[in-house]
Amino acid sequence: MAEIRRESILGLDNIRLDLPVAGLGSRSLAAFLDSILLGFVGFAWIGAALALGTQVPGWAPVFVVGGLFLLNWGYFAAQEIFFGGRTLGKRLLKLRVVTAEGGTPGAGPLLIRNLVRSLDLFCGPLLMALDPLSRRLGDRLAGTLVVHEREREAMPLLGRVPPGWGARELAVVEAFLARARTLGDPAVAREMAERILLRIRRDAPELLAGLDPGADPVTAVRQALQAEEG
Amino acid sequence: MDYARFVRLRRPVWEAFEAQLADVRGSRGSRGGLRSADYGTLEDMALRYRQVLHDHALAAARFPGTAAARRLQALALEGTRRLTGEGRQSAAGPRTFFTRTFPRAFQRQLRLLGVAVALFLLAAVWGLTVAALRPAVGYAFLGPEAIRGLEEGRLWTSSLVSTMPPAVSSSWIATNNLSVALTAWSGGVLAGLVPLYVILLNGLMLGAILGVTLHYSMAGELLQFISAHGMLELTLILVTATAGLSLGRALVAAGDRPRAQAAREASRDALAVLLGCLPWFVVLALVEVFVSPSPDVPAGVKLLLGLALEGAFLALALRPQETAPESPEPAA
Repeated sequence: MAEIRRESILGLDNIRLDLPVAGLGSRSLAAFLDSILLGFVGFAWIGAALALGTQVPGWAPVFVVGGLFLLNWGYFAAQEIFFGGRTLGKRLLKLRVVTAEGGTPGAGPLLIRNLVRSLDLFCGPLLMALDPLSRRLGDRLAGTLVVHEREREAMPLLGRVPPGWGARELAVVEAFLARARTLGDPAVAREMAERILLRIRRDAPELLAGLDPGADPVTAVRQALQAEEG
Repeated sequence: MDYARFVRLRRPVWEAFEAQLADVRGSRGSRGGLRSADYGTLEDMALRYRQVLHDHALAAARFPGTAAARRLQALALEGTRRLTGEGRQSAAGPRTFFTRTFPRAFQRQLRLLGVAVALFLLAAVWGLTVAALRPAVGYAFLGPEAIRGLEEGRLWTSSLVSTMPPAVSSSWIATNNLSVALTAWSGGVLAGLVPLYVILLNGLMLGAILGVTLHYSMAGELLQFISAHGMLELTLILVTATAGLSLGRALVAAGDRPRAQAAREASRDALAVLLGCLPWFVVLALVEVFVSPSPDVPAGVKLLLGLALEGAFLALALRPQETAPESPEPAA
């Protein structure tokens, strides 16, 4: 999984929040997918309007003109308002519109950012490329951002830690335990677990007391550090 | 505090907050979510959110990259998204919007509207003068077909209902006028140049067309045609263009505020003005197709209808407000 660019904002009590900002590439792709869908919906609407026109003679052009106008100006805004800042393209790419403070934007800002969408076709990409928060014109006007929305990875939390271990060691061990089951080669997992056990034996041998010496090394690490799924 | 102790002590708070967020997620779509939560639950969530934020700050500083820090980061972001912002505020109903939000926003832009009207009138006088001195300019605005019609003593407007059914004409006119209004509004972000262009072009066209019809002694017929819908149509175009100008002004002359903040504040008022104008365009399109070209409707009735529509719009927009319309407020 590619690393997501994060930009800091100040949240409540001036606490720093690192927003996973969506860049030009993912946003352009989402817009492209939405444009394709918009094309399909437009054609479907024309077909439906022509069919409806046979029931109400003379009104087919009215349905076509009115429907295409609404689609043109309302497709993105309506979806973002009703689906919590997501269009179908954004949903597929796991993107979401949030306020500049990371909150949920109201209908007003979502309308504003989409009313200037046609202008952003020309100047949006350049603005997004130059801005650390990848904001296009509509985002600047509405005070919004587009962020990645990824499910939280389940990672084990350590209940015991050898004295002297810093954040780096903890992060490595937790990441290893989270991925140990999915490693392709079990021998590699065992080898890494044995190296961790060696470090534990050196720094805090009391944590290994009572463990079965013949147990699987990965399980032994889990038990020694009382790792629980978080 | 060491890592293990931190996790042991604080984990119940994180899990409780996660469970509350899951409840909010689970009840989304129905009338549930935060809006259906009672006061105690909300207070509890707000407290836990704050605790999670502080734990996140501590974990990010003391234990960066650990599972606890990652979990808290995700939790802080989701909590912020769900508990802050405007998305969960109940939107004001149409009645509140049209009686309070729209008039307040409109009245805050009156001065700029005055400038827009002055520019429009200047352009109209210029167009009238040019057309009176050089009637050939009419070709540029109306085309040879319309000029031939004027020479034969009929207005080009008759084609509005003779070449296509009234329903089609009105939908075409409505979407066309709405597109002009939306373009004038959104073009405001280009330093106000697009709304300025719309104001000047409309003024110039009105003046020039009036000048050309004067030349062919058809100005009376033209004024009769536009009397029912023209006044309000021009008013709406000017008002929405003014809203666009206000966006441009905020971007160009932000004053002592950051440009982004000035633009955000201006855009809220501008949006309220735009939304307040849009429904009128649909009404006007119906008038323009069914009333304006009809020979059965007397000229006096058309004029009265035009004055009534203009009066109704202005009465709504200039409706006295309880408090002075100084500070911007969120749009509906």
